[in-house]
Amino acid sequence: MSEKTMLEVRDLTMHFMLNKSKNLKVHAVDGISFAIPRGKTLGLVGESGCGKSTCARTIIRIYDPTDGKIFLDGQDITRLSQKELKPLRKKMQMIFQDPYASLNARMVVRDIIAEPLLAHGIIHSKKEAGEYVYPMLERVGLTREHADRYAHEFSGGQRQRIGIARALILQPELVICDEPISALDVSIQAQVVNLLKDYQEEKGISYLFIAHDLSMVRYVSDQVGVMYLGQMAELCEAEEIYRKPLHPYTQGLLGSIPIPNPKLAREKVTSGIQGDIPSPVNPPEGCRFCPRCPYAKPVCSRETPRLKEVSPGHQVACHLY
Amino acid sequence: MENERKNTEALNLICEDPWGALPESRQEREKIAGRNRSFFSDVWFRFRRKPTALAGLAVILILLIFALFGPYFTKYSYSDQNLDLVNIPPYLSVFEAEDGSCYFYITQSLKVVVVNKDGTLGRQLTRLREDEKQKMIFFDYNGEEIAIFYGMQPYVIANPVARTVMPRAKVWNRSYVLGTDTLGRDILTRLMYGTRVSLLVAFIAVIVNMVIGIVYGGISGYAGGAVDNIMMRIVDIISTIPLTLYVILIMVLLGSGLHSIIIAIGTVYWVDMARVVRGQVLTLKEQEFVVASKTIGSPTKTILTQHLIPNAMGPILVTVTMLIPSAIFMEAFLGYLGIGLQPPLASLGTMCNDATENLKSCPHQLFIPALVICLIMFAFNFVGDGLRDALDPKLKK
Repeated sequence: MSEKTMLEVRDLTMHFMLNKSKNLKVHAVDGISFAIPRGKTLGLVGESGCGKSTCARTIIRIYDPTDGKIFLDGQDITRLSQKELKPLRKKMQMIFQDPYASLNARMVVRDIIAEPLLAHGIIHSKKEAGEYVYPMLERVGLTREHADRYAHEFSGGQRQRIGIARALILQPELVICDEPISALDVSIQAQVVNLLKDYQEEKGISYLFIAHDLSMVRYVSDQVGVMYLGQMAELCEAEEIYRKPLHPYTQGLLGSIPIPNPKLAREKVTSGIQGDIPSPVNPPEGCRFCPRCPYAKPVCSRETPRLKEVSPGHQVACHLY
Repeated sequence: MENERKNTEALNLICEDPWGALPESRQEREKIAGRNRSFFSDVWFRFRRKPTALAGLAVILILLIFALFGPYFTKYSYSDQNLDLVNIPPYLSVFEAEDGSCYFYITQSLKVVVVNKDGTLGRQLTRLREDEKQKMIFFDYNGEEIAIFYGMQPYVIANPVARTVMPRAKVWNRSYVLGTDTLGRDILTRLMYGTRVSLLVAFIAVIVNMVIGIVYGGISGYAGGAVDNIMMRIVDIISTIPLTLYVILIMVLLGSGLHSIIIAIGTVYWVDMARVVRGQVLTLKEQEFVVASKTIGSPTKTILTQHLIPNAMGPILVTVTMLIPSAIFMEAFLGYLGIGLQPPLASLGTMCNDATENLKSCPHQLFIPALVICLIMFAFNFVGDGLRDALDPKLKK
């Protein structure tokens, strides 16, 4: 692990027990590994229910991981207690998917943004909050006057920027963005993504950017990881994955991006993925994608493919390579 | 003024280029036009549109004023007895004196009381003698003789010399506006004290319930798992004990009096509140803003007091307003059973209990406190109803 690695995850596994006696478990995340260098962004994409959000929540330790290791800035945080974690939370913050549910409707914006400051003893009463809150509000494109408003008075985009302000006020080194734009209009998405990018350039922070929108991920990320049913299917440089997708699942995903030009769309080979995502309670044997894979071979349903490097910086978990 | 200027500016722009877009500054786009309204002013806005809820609130306020300040305006105390004037009704059937200067009223113990023209009660006439043959009891009125003639029902006051019945009349009792009870105590004054006791019981019970219920339910819901299981089984056990029996047992143990009523109600009624709070906390703690608070690293105390409890406040308030009537009813019920307050202290329940003895002759003694109990319960139920609607954000317009 180099000095410059901000976050490293090794074989992270998160199973949720459904029924102890029958040993039924949801295999939400099953052995995921990746590393995010300082100042870089890793985009994590995949269908709904593939374990992206669980992955994010396990990394920020809302859940206790079943197995694997999480290193934040070189420190193992996998088994730290909530109390031991508290000082580290300053380094790692999260932006949530739903701008309506992630802000407390009974609090004014000032108090929402000041909560991390109070929790970490940076300020000791709400009266001191203005000094920190006003510049942050202006940073995310809101004004001082908004500080005394309740969250429910804002639009979705404004609310998401309040959520971002809350995450950034502690000046974290790593921000986990759990689908921060998927609940927003396209016009507002750009606004939020640009805000995040500008801030990254300014402060050199790292992002783990989760989305199911591939075109937006391409714009923000340095590296892209494609998840399928709790496992990493492909991991490589952002441009590479668009230029040369290797895993059949990635190819399918890319085939499903709508193209705004109708003439181009007609020429495009429609290679959408058939079928539904299998249940994570009872994942298929071998390669998890094999029941839906057009190139499946007999080996695919027997052996689980390991993530291997097929070209420099390009890892893929598929028996075809 | 400012608005007008803006409007004319906008109008000028439109006139220059009717189809062009208006210039839009970034500042304008982020502006929120609505008035800055807090959560509670929002609730009040919706609450006041419901007439029944407003009426309920008004009745509660009037009863509060009546109970708190009323006793300063009466000349009687709740324990003053006047055995000469027992069971006087608020509306008197009287007989007019021949000189027209006053009325006479026959009490239940066959005495004659002078009623002044303005309706206030005067002195009692001295009894002279009884003539069983004529079925008359003679009284002295300013040197003249008047008599109760009990040869007919109801008894009348007659002039024994002229042998004529004096003219009947009806007047409102001005000395005791709501009459007196079996011991000659002013019902109005006792009603003020009774309402005071009822409201006191209600409010203390509610405060105790809120504190215990919120803390207990909050901890149970937030901790979850085994802790939640054990805490809720305790609540189940408490709620299976018949409430009335339990309250009576506590009263027997601690002796009757206001303090034991409050302790009894306070220790039992919180189970509903605990259940409501637990249910709310269970659903709220999965919400993203609570998860966000955890990732921030906020202590559990902050999560409970800043996030969970304030968001559960709607159902809590509704439970409270529904709980008040049942606490009041419980107090009245205990008073009625005779294990509530000890005389001469008055509560609405004990007043009802006292009145049942002579229900037939003086129904007003039961009717008046019962009416007040009804009023209080109606008022709180209406307010509770209104609050539930006002606090429900789905009904927001």
